[in-house]
Amino acid sequence: METAQAALKISELPFLAEEAPEGEGGDETTAAGSQGTVGEPFVENPRMSCREVNVFYGEKHAIKDVSIDIAGNEVLAMIGPSGCGKSTFLRCLNRMNDTVDTCRVSGTILLDGMDIYDRSVDVVPLRARVGMVFQKPNPFPKSIYDNIAYGPRIHGLAESRSELDAIVEQSLKKAGLWQEVYDRLDQPGTGLSGGQQQRLCIARAIAVQPEVILMDEPCSALDPIATATVEDLIAELQEQYTIVIVTHNMQQAARVSQRTAYFHLGTLIEVGPTDRIFTNPRHRLTEDYITGRFG
Amino acid sequence: MLSKDACRAIVLLAVALAVSPAAAGQGRDYISIVGSSTVYPFATTVAEQFGKTTRFKTPKIESTGSGGGMKLFCAGLGIETPDITNASRRIKKSEYATCRKNGVREITEVKIGYDGIVLANSKEAPRMNLSKRDIFLALAARVPAPDGGEKLVANPYRTWKEVDPALPDTRIEVLGPPPTSGTRDAFVELAMQGGCSTFAWIKTLKKTDKARFKGICHTIREDGAYIEAGENDNLIVQKLEANPRALGIFGFSFLDQNGDRIQGSLVDGEAPTFENIASGSYPVSRPLFFYIKDAHVGVIPGMREYVAEFTSDRAWGEDGYLADKGLIPMSAGERQRYAADAAALKPLILDDAGN
Amino acid sequence: MKKHGAMPGKEKVTAMDVVQKGLARRYRRERWFRRMGLAAVLASIGFLGLLFVSIIGNGWSAFTQAEVLLDIDFAAAQFDVDNLARANYGALVKKSLQKLFPGVKDRRQKRKLYRLVSSGAAFILQKMVMQDTSLIGTSRRIWLPADDEVDMLLKGYISRSVPESQRRLTDRQIGWIDRLIADGRLKKRFNTTFFTAGDSREPELAGIRGAVAGSLLTMLVTLLLSFPVGVATAVYLEEFAPRNRWTDLIEVNINNLAAVPSIVFGLLGLAFFLGVLGLPRSSPLVGGLVLTLMTLPTIIIASRASLKSVPPSIREAALGIGASKMQVIVHHVLPLAMPGMMTGTIIGMAQALGETAPLLMIGMVAFIVDVPTGLTDPATVLPVQIYLWADAPERAFVERTAAAIMVLLAFLICMNGLAVYLRRKFERRW
Ligand SMILES: Nc1ncnc2c1ncn2[C@@H]1O[C@H](COP(=O)(O)OP(=O)(O)OP(=O)(O)O)[C@@H](O)[C@H]1O
Ligand SMILES: [Mg+2]
Repeated sequence: METAQAALKISELPFLAEEAPEGEGGDETTAAGSQGTVGEPFVENPRMSCREVNVFYGEKHAIKDVSIDIAGNEVLAMIGPSGCGKSTFLRCLNRMNDTVDTCRVSGTILLDGMDIYDRSVDVVPLRARVGMVFQKPNPFPKSIYDNIAYGPRIHGLAESRSELDAIVEQSLKKAGLWQEVYDRLDQPGTGLSGGQQQRLCIARAIAVQPEVILMDEPCSALDPIATATVEDLIAELQEQYTIVIVTHNMQQAARVSQRTAYFHLGTLIEVGPTDRIFTNPRHRLTEDYITGRFG
Repeated sequence: MLSKDACRAIVLLAVALAVSPAAAGQGRDYISIVGSSTVYPFATTVAEQFGKTTRFKTPKIESTGSGGGMKLFCAGLGIETPDITNASRRIKKSEYATCRKNGVREITEVKIGYDGIVLANSKEAPRMNLSKRDIFLALAARVPAPDGGEKLVANPYRTWKEVDPALPDTRIEVLGPPPTSGTRDAFVELAMQGGCSTFAWIKTLKKTDKARFKGICHTIREDGAYIEAGENDNLIVQKLEANPRALGIFGFSFLDQNGDRIQGSLVDGEAPTFENIASGSYPVSRPLFFYIKDAHVGVIPGMREYVAEFTSDRAWGEDGYLADKGLIPMSAGERQRYAADAAALKPLILDDAGN
Repeated sequence: MKKHGAMPGKEKVTAMDVVQKGLARRYRRERWFRRMGLAAVLASIGFLGLLFVSIIGNGWSAFTQAEVLLDIDFAAAQFDVDNLARANYGALVKKSLQKLFPGVKDRRQKRKLYRLVSSGAAFILQKMVMQDTSLIGTSRRIWLPADDEVDMLLKGYISRSVPESQRRLTDRQIGWIDRLIADGRLKKRFNTTFFTAGDSREPELAGIRGAVAGSLLTMLVTLLLSFPVGVATAVYLEEFAPRNRWTDLIEVNINNLAAVPSIVFGLLGLAFFLGVLGLPRSSPLVGGLVLTLMTLPTIIIASRASLKSVPPSIREAALGIGASKMQVIVHHVLPLAMPGMMTGTIIGMAQALGETAPLLMIGMVAFIVDVPTGLTDPATVLPVQIYLWADAPERAFVERTAAAIMVLLAFLICMNGLAVYLRRKFERRW
């Protein structure tokens, strides 16, 4: 059923049929197609499953034939050198790429068996189910309270003011920010420090109770203490949610994730259990990267 | 919040658009007047007086120039067209024809008095004594060759003394209105053409080759001696004060108001005074008119009364308030005749008249 | 830089030395640039100051007006209670002047005497009686406006030293004026008429109220139309319209429209609003529509620029938690772009406030005495009033022209101040 749908999808996309040039380099990375991904990209009972995803920014082929599953209640870490397409792939998962004019996506991405790129799918509820925390903190220029309350308000998640207050408090507590801001909820969110802002954005994302949370380098602007808070949060969230996290910090990936995916020049090179990837990488590129030979 | 405002505004616009033509369709309760900027100060004075002393609204008067006024006036009948147009010249045959073609069949002509066109300079310089011939020779683009004969040359005169040895040895520098102005038309017709007709061979051209005649007499030089100073006569007065060598051309009312700063040049020996213009001895003066759309009388309230006010002696008489504003009144006989014709709405018939 | 290449091998030159060497020149350039900027600012302030000084110098005297204190005897015999408008109010003025100067007997001289008081005095008395009939039968001392010539003499614009024949006031009249001044009956008082009256041919009776009301009504129409339409257009073009040849064409056209001479909009207004729609000539409604066409491009361009300047991260943040496109725009983008949009709108409105050319075509350059009260009443606007007064022969209009310019400038300063205030206020929410 799923595979039939995927096949149908691809045949519908004419630009994929013949061309889809095989990378720029022509080196060994081209060998790694979807079949070429080393390791165990697929799981049983996936929450999300991606098949032969290709992304183009105009002429630029940013993601090449990526196929991967994401299991429920797991943390998947995505690593790879800068510019290899981690953010791009992440943004495919809640269709944030729709906002980029030049961006075209092909292939299938299923969420609980539903093709999220299907014409009948409404992106608004999709993004409520698949939340996102961005690489740069981007709080709204509103009060701290309104930042958190905005999502629940537009989705109608709270019946009353007290319910809304409870959601705000819960979310801030989960993000480890409550202690710092509980007495100034009416002050602008933009007045917080960079690390606080990032946690505010995390709180904002979880306030709408998504099923999947996408995090794009959430800790790149945080100090070790705040990073630890966020990592604790991820561990805690994992019990309810599925989390995909992009990180440049290898230790972080090792600490928080169960599985790790390694991207290189738009191609998914290797996927596997985090311990194994870091102790015993199978692909030479993965090995080079985690041992710090490049990237 | 914004979308609500936007909606409200759009609704408002729709209502405004829907209501206003309807409102306009109900008729107009004020007189609409257009036309000459020379008549404007007089017509507005009458209008104000009329508005204050009667139960009617004060007429609205647009200053559009004589030609512009005629165009609007002759566009047709109906409340969106003006009821009266002022003119600093008589209606042209072509305009009259347009009027008739557009259904404006009956119009009444009312002459209201005269306007003198003066050449003035600053009191700091000696008063000029010019003939019309001097004016023509000083300002025409092409003049008969100074050595005689029936030949035209580009205007060679640089100073007044070269034009006429009796005049001072100063550069010819004249500030005057642009070609769009009625004052300029009248000046060209009365002063320039008058001076140009003093050359016998040019005068004969008027019968034989009218176009050439006009070309010679009506074309003002463009080499810098004549400076177009805009329609604003006040500005010309100010420039004359700053530059005592220059002469300026404008309507008599501006001389009248600024007698302490500027003086009018004699033309053919006559000074531009109230009496001289009224008696007709000052040669550069023109009649002023207004034209009534007879079909609107009785439709637009107050038209008869407005005309009566304008043609009353307390307005246009020798001691009337218009004389105060610089209008040169007609003789008592002429006034009586025009007032009677206006009251009777005697339609103008233009078969051979006009130019 | 040159030194660098031709470095002698003898001494070792570190990067710091090169930097130091260039430093003096860099600072010199910086100082020079700063001084140029300062000079430019000073020059523009100088010109602005010059403009203000000349206008205020010309115009301040218009805020006072010579008035005469007359004893008016509203003798009951003169009034017919049923027809108060018919009473001869001019005679009341004349009688009181006669009482003041009983020696003036000659008819011509009497006329000269009466002329010292404005012809509007009679109407002022008429209004007073109509409003309060209890005045009839009483005697009152009333300040009435003097004629504009008297006003000019008091303000020193008419010189007493020129020969009598070149003055519009005779020696005898000046004698009377001096008597009145000595008696404390002739004084310059604050000119309320200037703010409460419509246009008039008599300078002492002329005011800017009609023009101000016309300007306000016209601006109201312009604001109500151009702001929502301009913002909606900008939002559509910026947020919804696909980027293709059509939208490029629209964009080019909007930018071109911003540069079209304003009279063209007047011609369009004449042809369309008056010709096709049949809207009433000279009305603030049509004036507002024409000025809307003129200001729309300014507003659209400014609004698009401020929409563009909203950081994309804010949009992504809102989209990321599932806001719809409309919600992103209304809740986040518009509030952030609003200060810029408002600034653009106010600048466009200020431009429109100062416009005369397009209004010429639609009949708003007109003598209108009655103060307009509705959108379809005939009306004129402040700059047109200035233009008309500047063209009037009476000398007393010169100062009134300058005073009207001062009022217009005050409006413009207020509007621009409002723009700055709004920007400040809303920017704080960032
Ligand atoms: N909007 C865009 N338009 C065109 N090209 C883009 C766009 N966004 C990203 N790219 C290109 O796509 C490729 C992948 O970018 P992406 O942002 O996904 O990298 P990344 O792996 O997240 O890098 P980093 O670790 O530096 O964040 C890059 O080569 C980038 O230049
Ligand atoms: Mg990235």
